Formats: sequence, structure tokens, C-alpha cells
Amino acid sequence: MLNMGFINKKELIFVTLFLLQPFFAITTFAQVPTDSTATDSVLLKQVEEQMQANANEQPAPAQTRSSLNFNPDMGVIGDFQSSYISRGKKNFDMYLNETEVSLQAVVDPYIRADFFLTFGRDPVTGKYGAAVEEGYLTTLSLPAKLQLKAGKFREAVGRINPTHPHALPFIDLPNAYVNLFGEEGLNDEGLSLSWLLPTKSVYQELVFQTTSGFSESPAFTRSEGNRLVYLAHLKNFFTLSDNATLELGLTGISGPNDSARTTNIAAGDLTYKWKPVQLNTYHSITWQSEFYYSNNHNAPGNSINSFGLYSFFEYQLAQRWFLTARYDYAQKPYNKSITEQAYSLSAGWYATEFSKIEVEAKTTDDTIQSRFYQAWLRWIFVIGAHGAHQY
Amino acid sequence: MEPINIKRLKNNFTDKRNKMKKRSALFIFLLLYMFAIANAKTIRVVTTTTDMKSITELIGGDKVSVSSIATGYQNPHFVDPKPSYIINLSNADMFVTVGLDLETGWSPQLLASSRNSKIQKGSEGYVDASIGIGLLQVPTSANRGEGDIHIFGNPHYWLDPLNGKVIARNIANGLERIDPSNKSTYENNLQVFFANIDTKMREWQAEMVPFKGSKLIAYHNEWVYFETRFGLKIVDFMEPKPGIPPTPSQLVKVIGEVKSNNIKVIISSPYFATSSADVVAKQTGIKVLTLATSVGAFPSIKNYFDLFDYDIKQLTSALK
Repeated sequence: MLNMGFINKKELIFVTLFLLQPFFAITTFAQVPTDSTATDSVLLKQVEEQMQANANEQPAPAQTRSSLNFNPDMGVIGDFQSSYISRGKKNFDMYLNETEVSLQAVVDPYIRADFFLTFGRDPVTGKYGAAVEEGYLTTLSLPAKLQLKAGKFREAVGRINPTHPHALPFIDLPNAYVNLFGEEGLNDEGLSLSWLLPTKSVYQELVFQTTSGFSESPAFTRSEGNRLVYLAHLKNFFTLSDNATLELGLTGISGPNDSARTTNIAAGDLTYKWKPVQLNTYHSITWQSEFYYSNNHNAPGNSINSFGLYSFFEYQLAQRWFLTARYDYAQKPYNKSITEQAYSLSAGWYATEFSKIEVEAKTTDDTIQSRFYQAWLRWIFVIGAHGAHQY
Repeated sequence: MEPINIKRLKNNFTDKRNKMKKRSALFIFLLLYMFAIANAKTIRVVTTTTDMKSITELIGGDKVSVSSIATGYQNPHFVDPKPSYIINLSNADMFVTVGLDLETGWSPQLLASSRNSKIQKGSEGYVDASIGIGLLQVPTSANRGEGDIHIFGNPHYWLDPLNGKVIARNIANGLERIDPSNKSTYENNLQVFFANIDTKMREWQAEMVPFKGSKLIAYHNEWVYFETRFGLKIVDFMEPKPGIPPTPSQLVKVIGEVKSNNIKVIISSPYFATSSADVVAKQTGIKVLTLATSVGAFPSIKNYFDLFDYDIKQLTSALK
């Protein structure tokens, strides 16, 4: 006998009946037609007839097999460069500067994923190494016009930092930018939350980013403690007319530096674009400027404030020809008495959407070295899918 | 008799005035509220091009408010993805795209930035107007050495008025998915649209009959559906390959073809420079005709029917 002192016999029967209930239910359901009204039996007959008819039908002709697959959009971007510098022993060089592999797709109804893997040459060892330039997910369906990004991404500092270098109209990066963020830019691992403000006439986007400090940017380092790098960016985009737009961005960044103290950066960007809607592939003008103000605490009670900016003017002469002039001014963030000034001129020939050749000449003056000259040639070529660039 | 209490009277008066104020405020509020409800009920549609906008307006009637990202005089391949377009997309109930990778350089990026799950690919509010179109020029191999080819086929299908019916069906399906309560309105409008296309089609074809088989030069490979429907024959293009600007050797080739075939017209679009076509015109006396590729290309083209009225009028008078 089962030891069921706490359940009496009546209860046991009840529980058994309860457990068996589904089986009764099924039998009852199966019996519905016989017990049911005439209309239901007519319906059942119809359904049975239909099913019979379906079974008798010829099988559907074999569909041609779709060539669709779930592979992500893939692309490879090659960046071949040759360079000249007027100082030092080695004046000329040529190299495959970067090979970027992009893999992009929607993951599921909630998120999409973007990966950019890069194979670049280490300038010191000359050997090629692979790295994840970016790899992040972006949400597609958060409420309240929010969008979350998680992974490794180029951070929202103005205009140059979020742009992949191959898409810029010049080959080198502005001095002020490199001094603070390095050749790879502020490209870090963490979270990014952006909010589209409900303004109707002006596009306004507010972005908050929290990252761990893994980036190679000189301004910030990874904290040995629990400190993170924080960034806030407000993007304002004004439509001046059908053909002209203005973008004004404000950025604040704060994070640990290599003195185990804090660096704060304030940055602003202003971009005017003129692109006639009707003949937008023939002529256009872009005037873009950014400034960076850095406040670097490097010792108790001591901090260095430095300033830098660039401004460029790009003119599209014809469908395939672009000319860009740029001015750079930068105080070194570690010693503001060292200042750099540079002028550069670039010309680009855009063969198609998938290849372009550019040349650039640059002259730099700084307060401790004599003037020097640089020149570059760059050939960008893309195979496979190539996503759109930011406007 | 009790003396008149002026203060009381005054209070009474103010009370009444306040009450009236309150009532009128309430009335205005109700009116605004009703207006808001009426407004909220319209389906907000964003289309990539003006042709899709026009057809959506014809099917949706007063139930929809439609805006188009591209203008009618703009090259639909190369629209700049300005962030300002995201504002409309973020509030849209439905998105209509021409599809077949026509807008691949700009619309996916705008959609992803819209934060609007209602209009993402695969959602109820996403309408690909190309579903069910009998496609022309579907390539057998995907090789960019052939220029800007479209792997799914030529995407300029709206330039055949009969394809307008397929577009309209797709748009009506979309509207009925997200607004089933007005299904009968959309179905009625769809039938009216079909009937109008059929009527106009007879007129257009009658006008084009005398010019059947006429040979033309086109700037870009975007007329194949129009050409096929109206029995024209495009011999060559100003572009040596789709997307590649005209080269001197291509112009020499075209000049030869114009002379040997006695071709009368080069057709171009508002967004292409006519300088190269003018060179051919100078050499051969050929007419350069800028036709409309979309609604709104010229101020007189206000809807999808005007588009064909305009192009056929221009073509028939040039070919005479």
C-alpha cells in the first residue's frame, strides 16, 4: 500500500480524475460532431470534402530553388597607399595600408549586426595582423525612439571619428584629432544609447556611450580600477533648403588617463553641405570643421588645457572629381606650448562607387621642428556589398 | 427689500463668465481632441519615390498622408541619406519601396536609423512594390565589370503603366494589412485605379501606334519597361555601361549609330547633364528630349497618369 496518510481515498479518486481530464476532453471533442447540431456536421462534411479534394489535387509544380541564403552582406575594401616624407632616412614607401572585411546582416526581428574586420600592417614590425575594427549589435525595435548599440564601435565624436578612414576625402588625419585619439580614433568597447528627440523641424539625436577604455587613443587609458570612459554627443541637423544642410554637434568625453587621473574633452563640429538635389552627382560643396578642447589632469593640482581644430573645404568639380583643402591647428595635449600648423590639398578621382584614387600634399610647421612636407597616393577598391556612408 | 449686493452680483457675473470660459475651453478642447483623433486615424506613409507616393495617394485617398523621400527630378539611385528623412520615417505607419536594389545606396541605412519597428523589412508596414512584377533584364551573372547592374533585374519598372497596377495591388495589400477597417475603401479605389489605367492605356497606345518600332538613343538604361510596352527600340545608351559617364569613344559610336539608323531622338532624364547629348545633337541634328522618369519631374506632372501623358506627348511630337 502506498503511504498516503495525508490524502484520503475520496481525494485520491478526485486527483486521478483531474489528471485524466485531458483524455476525457479529447474524447469529448472527438465526439462533438455526433452530438452537435446539424450545422456543425454540415461544416465538418465540407471540411472533410475539402481535405479530400486537396488530397486528390495534383502536387504543386516544383518551385525553382531560390538562390537566397542567410549569409550576411559581405564586402572587402582594399586600401593601397604610397607615401613621401621630406625628413628622415626613408622618404618613400608603399604598402597595402588596410584590408577591411565587412559582414553585415539583420540578426532577428530585434537586432542587426555589423562586423568590420581589419588586416593592417604594423608600422614597426612590418607584419600584418588581424583586428576587429568594429563589431556591434544595434537594436531595431526599442520603444521611445531609443536605439542601443553594444560591442566595439567608433564612438560618436563629431564627424571624423565615426567615419571609416577610406571614406574621408583626405588620406591623413587632422593633427588635432590624431593627438587626442590616435590613428585608429576613439574606437572602444561598451554600450551606446541614442535617443531621437521628438522635434519635428530639426533632426536632433542625443547619444550616451560608456566604454571600458580599451581604445588606443592617447587621451584615455583603461583604468586599473573600475573607472569607465563616458561620452555624450548631441547632433543637430538643419535643413536650410532642398540643396543645403547644416549640422552642429557637441560632444563631451570624460575618462581615466595614463596618469590615473581624469581627462575631459569638449568638442564641437560644424558641417555645411550644398548638394543640388537635381544634379547631385555633378557638383557639391562641403565645409566641415571640428574643434577639440582637452583638459588633462596629469598630477595633483596640475592640469594641461590644450586646443586643436581642423577645417576643410571640399568642392566637387565634376561627376568624378573632388578637390579638398584643409587647415590644421593643434596644441600638444601633453605640452600646450608645442603647436602644429598644417595645410593640405587633396584631389580625388572617383571612378565608380567602388573605386577611387586620391593624392594629397601636406606641409607642417611646428614650434620645435623645421617645416616638413608629406605626400600620399591612395587607391581604394571595394568588392562585394558596400553599405551607405553617413551623410 | 433687500439691498442689492453689488459684490454678490459681480461675483455671480464673474462666476457665469468663468463658467462660459470653461465651457468654451472645453468645447475647443473637444474640437481639438476630435481633430486629433481624426488626424491620428490617417495612415502615415513614407515612400522612397514620388511615383510610389502618387499611387499610394490614389489608393489611400483621404485615409492616408503620404510623403516621398526622393523628389521627382532626382536620380533615385543616388539620394543622399540626410538625417532629416529619419524624422518622417520614425513616425511612419507604412513604408513603400520600389525595391530590386534601386534604393540600396540609401534606404536601408535610413530604415535602420528610423527606430521604427513597424516599417522594417518583414514587418506589416513594409511594402516592396516590386512583388509580382514581370522583370526584364535579369542578369545571368553578377559582375560589376558590366557597370551598375541590378542583380534582381532592371528596377525602373514603374515606367510601364500596366506595372502601375501591380504596384497599386501591393500598396493596397499593405494598407489593408495595417488598416483592415478601411479595406473596402482601398479595394474600391484600387478598382477605380485599374479602370483608369485601362482607359488611359488605350489612349496612350493609340497615340504611340504610328511610332511603333521607332529607334531611340537613351542616356541611361532606365527605359526598358516603357520601351517594351510602347514598342520602341532603344539602340544604344550615352553611358558606355550603366553608371559610367559618357566617354568620347562612346559618343563616336553613338554618332555612327544615329547616322546609320536615322535616329531622331535621344531621351534623357532631368538629373543627367545634357552636355554629351548636345555634342551628338551638334554632329547629327538629333533632338535631345528630357523626359520625366517620375511624378514631379516637371511642375505639370502631378500624378502617375500625368507622367505618361507628359512623356507620350513629348515623344510623339518629337518623333513626328
